[in-house]
Amino acid sequence: MKWFGLIATAFTGILLLSAVGDFARFGDPHSPANAGVGDRPSVSQYYITDTYADTKVPNIVTAVLADYRGYDTMFETVVIFAAGISIFAILRSLGGPVVPVSHPQAIDTSVDGDHQRIIIGTTCRLMIPVIQLFALYVVAHGHHSPGGGFQGGVILGASFILLALAKDLGTALGRFSEKRYLTLGCVGIMIYAGFGLLCQALERNLLDYEILHRIMPATDAVMARSHSMLGVEVGVAFTVTAIMFAIYSNLSSNGRLDHGL
Amino acid sequence: MIYDIVAVILIAAGIVFFLGAAVGLIRFPDFYTRMHAAGKGDTLSSLLVILGFAIHEFRHFDGSGDVIVFLKLLAICAFIMLTSPTSTHALMDAGYEDGIEPVIGEGGENALAETRKTRKKD
Repeated sequence: MKWFGLIATAFTGILLLSAVGDFARFGDPHSPANAGVGDRPSVSQYYITDTYADTKVPNIVTAVLADYRGYDTMFETVVIFAAGISIFAILRSLGGPVVPVSHPQAIDTSVDGDHQRIIIGTTCRLMIPVIQLFALYVVAHGHHSPGGGFQGGVILGASFILLALAKDLGTALGRFSEKRYLTLGCVGIMIYAGFGLLCQALERNLLDYEILHRIMPATDAVMARSHSMLGVEVGVAFTVTAIMFAIYSNLSSNGRLDHGL
Repeated sequence: MIYDIVAVILIAAGIVFFLGAAVGLIRFPDFYTRMHAAGKGDTLSSLLVILGFAIHEFRHFDGSGDVIVFLKLLAICAFIMLTSPTSTHALMDAGYEDGIEPVIGEGGENALAETRKTRKKD
C-alpha cells in the first residue's frame, strides 16, 4: 500500500512538474491571457478596465474570484469541505468509551490556582473578541481591500483554535460543537451553490448574478453582482471556519475529541 | 522635521534591540536564557520600530493626510504589547512542563528543579 502511494505521488508530481514547462513566463505580454487569442481581446485587459463598470467592486481580485470565476471558487470551497470530511472520516473514532465534552469547564482563575491559566486566559479573553471582529471585517470588506471569505474564515477558525489551545478542547467544543461545525460547513457550501442555483431558477446561467436584481430589493443589475459576491463570500467563510476547527480538533485529539493538546 | 528625527531615533533604537535579541538567541547557553533574549528583545524592538513608523505618519496630523494609518499602527503596538509577552510566557511554561533543565553555573542553585518537585506533588 505504501509503495502504491509512493508511485501515485511520484507520478502526479512528475505530471505536474512537466506541466509547469507549458506555463507562460511571468508577466509575458504575449501570453494568451495578456495578448488575447487570435483577434479576441485580452482577458487581463478586460478585467482591469471593465471590472468596476461591471460590478462596482474596486478590488479586482475579489471580482475575478467570486464573480467571473465563481464556478472555480465554488469548487475550491468544496475541496476545503472535502478535506475536512476526509479528516473526519479517517481520524474520528466514534466507537469506544464515549466522552461527552460539550460542557464549558470552569477555569480556576483564583490567585492560588494555576498561574499560567491567569495570564494566558486573560490575554485570550481580551484578544479573541478582537480577532473575531477583525475576521468579520475581513469577510465583509473583501470588496474594497485584500480579504474575503477564505482569509476571514481562516482568522475566525484560528480564534476558536486559540481558545482550544489556551484552555482546552472541551471549552472550545462547548462553544462550537462537532454537530455545529459540520452543519456550518455544509451550510456554507449550500449558500454558495444556492446563489448559483437561484440564478438558474431565474432562467440564467449558474452563478450569473446579474439577474438577482429582480429579487433583491433596491438593487440594479450592477449592484446585484456586488451584493451576490458578498453573499458567496459569507458562504465561503462559513465553510472555511468550520473546516479549520474540524481539522484542528480531530488532529489534536487523535479523533477522540476528548482533551486535546 | 522634528517628527522625522524622533521617528529615526526610535527606529534605530529598535534595530539595535533587534540585534541584541538576535545575538542573544545565538549566544545564550540554554532554552530559558534564549527565550529571555528573544522574548524581551523582540517585544521592545518591534514596539520601538512600529512606534517610529507611527510618529513618521503623525506629521500628517494637520489634516492633509490619513490619520487612520497612525491609529492602525498604534493598535498594532497595543496588540504586540499584549500578545508577545504572553506567547513568550506560554513557551517558557511549556518548556518547564517538559522538563528542560537550565544551565547552572558554579555554585548556583537550580531553583526550578525544587519548584517542579512541589508542583508535581499537587
